[in-house]
Amino acid sequence: MFNMEKTLIYLDPENIKNSIELLEVAEQIHAESDFESYGVIINDSAARQELNHFDYIIKVQNEELKNYDPLAVTDIMEEIENKYNFDSIIIPATHFGRMLAPRLAMRLHVGLVADVTEIKKDGDELELVRPAFSGRIMAGIVTEARKPIMLSVRQNVFSYDSPLEKNVKIIDFKPVDYQKGNIKLLESRKNEISYDIRESEILVSGGGGTLKNFEEIKLLADNLNAEVSASRKIIDNGKASRNIQVGQSGKTVSPDLYIALGISGAIEHVAGLKNIENIISVNVNKNAPICSLSDIVVEGDAMEFVKKLSAKIKKNKKQKN
Amino acid sequence: MKIICLVKYVPNVEDIKYDYEENVLIRDNVKLILNPDDAAAVAFALKLKDSRPDLELEVLTMGPKSVRPFVEDLLRRDVDQATIISDTAFAGSDTYATAKILAAYLKDKEYDCILTGSKSLDGDTSHIPAQVGEILNLNQMSNLMSIEQDSFTKDRAVFEVESGDKRLKYEILFPAVLSLRKESGYELPYIKYENMSLDVSDKLDIISNKELGLAEDSIGLKGSLTRVANTYNKNFKEKDKTVVKNDDQGIDFVYSFLERKGFV
Repeated sequence: MFNMEKTLIYLDPENIKNSIELLEVAEQIHAESDFESYGVIINDSAARQELNHFDYIIKVQNEELKNYDPLAVTDIMEEIENKYNFDSIIIPATHFGRMLAPRLAMRLHVGLVADVTEIKKDGDELELVRPAFSGRIMAGIVTEARKPIMLSVRQNVFSYDSPLEKNVKIIDFKPVDYQKGNIKLLESRKNEISYDIRESEILVSGGGGTLKNFEEIKLLADNLNAEVSASRKIIDNGKASRNIQVGQSGKTVSPDLYIALGISGAIEHVAGLKNIENIISVNVNKNAPICSLSDIVVEGDAMEFVKKLSAKIKKNKKQKN
Repeated sequence: MKIICLVKYVPNVEDIKYDYEENVLIRDNVKLILNPDDAAAVAFALKLKDSRPDLELEVLTMGPKSVRPFVEDLLRRDVDQATIISDTAFAGSDTYATAKILAAYLKDKEYDCILTGSKSLDGDTSHIPAQVGEILNLNQMSNLMSIEQDSFTKDRAVFEVESGDKRLKYEILFPAVLSLRKESGYELPYIKYENMSLDVSDKLDIISNKELGLAEDSIGLKGSLTRVANTYNKNFKEKDKTVVKNDDQGIDFVYSFLERKGFV
């Protein structure tokens, strides 16, 4: 029997859903061949239901082990790799993933491509594409022909859509040994924002043009049952939490409708907009970069627009009732 | 107590503009700056030094010799010692090779803590802090938003990091590598007027591979495991936009668009 290729995906408890979506990345990397998918999950009780697109789930359950300790987790990942010899290891570019991936790559003496947003495969040639210069340019990276191929993948860029449910086999993995990294979690608290802009269907987003009264754009968001997001300028000026920042240094979003208020559309920002069907931008400068990506450009003051459109929606709602 | 700050000088990406019509980057007049996250690391260390006369602070960087004036300006801000690793043999090193070069220097040094930035403006891989940590077998944490100054000792630090939608507070035992974010708000002090043209050459070392003695095939392009094969400009899809005014007619137009698409 021929040797089937094997991929390992690190399932980060911080973002299990997006970690599972990395199966799409595995499919693109192993496009030419059948492959077996392994997911590894450390000290987390993700439901079996969510994981049934994998062939195997390697579960590491160990009370002493801290799944936030990069040194310990690297040791365990190395042990797993030594046992299974994967052709590729794919890690989500979460906070922890971005610390784990480079450590593990150095440990395994393989190259690593960070924050991948696109896979280009042509026969045996594999090029991993990632943003560079804060998203101003895309770089296609090739790695030395060593195994495993290692990459971290930008969150919320790939989506996996397969109806195929597998009879997932659970492997209860007991690590022989690992170092303890002398780190202790003292406290964990949620940031004040309760929604995830990556999940939003409608985003009302404010930029430099709304700096003086950013919180007022919520009026329009409320009327549209939408959520509020922002450009880096708002965040850097301390007007909103980083959780709602759209862009290369923030999050990649794909709502059905994006309303850009007073956002010029610097490439930093536009890099965070993915597959958005409908864009409306409001700007005093109708030639601002974002305008060429918009369906409708409203030339004028953003706050005035917020008030006028909100009033219009309210009025029509009443009439409909 | 000794802290080594790992820093990098990068092109100021903010100066790089994008021409949407031609789909090209405009790189004219781009200046070199101290990477903002790394600046936050040095700034925190200098702040700590204000209240800890026993703290010894060294800055380590790798790059062309042309970064020298920038490094001298850090020495004029009360950094005790600086080292520039510079050798044309290192040119083209990817993060794997670069981490090995930095670690080759650090492995014989004594320190309690290595402070650095979480990511650089140009490459933005965040590999170096973790990979240097890996080679030196030190633990490493990224995305530090604050460090408790009072509990920072020779043995340990308590700090907060941003992780997804959470703030996590950790305690770590030294030696370790800690990577700050510029959003931590630590800012470099100005150079005191009387130190503006202070001669700091006695505090500055420039070393090459002669001192580090790395094998030729482990550095530069030869020692790298990744390489940039292509660069792509982003091709943005232009839309057939309709421009309206912010008046009743314009608002009506927007409203009917929203209605047609089912958003209201």
